[in-house]
Amino acid sequence: MTNPSIWMIRLSLLYLLISASIGGLILSNIAISIHPMIWGLLPFHYELAVWGWFVQFVMGTSYWMFPKKMEGERRGAVIPAWIMIILFNFGLLILSTSTFNKIVVWSAFVGRSLMAIAVLIFIALIWQRVVTYKK
Amino acid sequence: MPKITRWFIKAGIIYFAAGIFLALIAEIPVVNTGSLLLPVYWHMLVMGWITQLIMGVSIWMFPRKHRDKEKREFILTWSAFWLLNTGLLLRFLSEPFLPLFRESSAISFIVVISAVLQVTAIIVYILEIWPRLQAREKRKSSRST
Repeated sequence: MTNPSIWMIRLSLLYLLISASIGGLILSNIAISIHPMIWGLLPFHYELAVWGWFVQFVMGTSYWMFPKKMEGERRGAVIPAWIMIILFNFGLLILSTSTFNKIVVWSAFVGRSLMAIAVLIFIALIWQRVVTYKK
Repeated sequence: MPKITRWFIKAGIIYFAAGIFLALIAEIPVVNTGSLLLPVYWHMLVMGWITQLIMGVSIWMFPRKHRDKEKREFILTWSAFWLLNTGLLLRFLSEPFLPLFRESSAISFIVVISAVLQVTAIIVYILEIWPRLQAREKRKSSRST
């Protein structure tokens, strides 16, 4: 497994753990009313589950498993892949924390913008690897 | 495809069908379930289907670090499967009834237990998958030593 994929999948597992724990807390709170503020964690819970877990896991796995190039760097340039990981996770951090802090109006927009740039880099890297090599 | 993967995927497919079916029922105006079924079918699709599919396929496809430790893998993967599916089943059987039986401590207890089981399943799955996330060179060198 290649290093960018290892890091993306590791981060996605961490997001899964955090998201599932918060989900468990929200579910328990419905049943036994632990604290009224816990319900406010719902947007944080699903942003981490969707973007941090599913999307990032799929990106990391496809970056590892898709057909490799015959020449040059086997999975394309490595530096853009690291930039993609940093932008995606930094964007997700800003986006998910913006669910607590509604005062900073633009923080969700900034977070999503960074993630959008990361996704464009991912598309650029993966597009050229969606190929069939003839035998 | 290993047996555990088949179980994860087949259980996932059952939740997929059940989730779609429940979402369909919730749209029927006469049924009028309000938002009672919303968290149930969302979690059937997200945890029951997508997460379970990912778990099953990754256990199958991700390179094993402990090839010689089959018992460890067996215990962790099957524990994750049963913890998750017991947790989900308890959740889907209890959560919709919470607003109807507010005073029932039995239903509240089942909901909390279901939450604990689901989170434990995730922890157990991560314990199995995390060591497999290694560069090929590192994996080879750790095997030869």
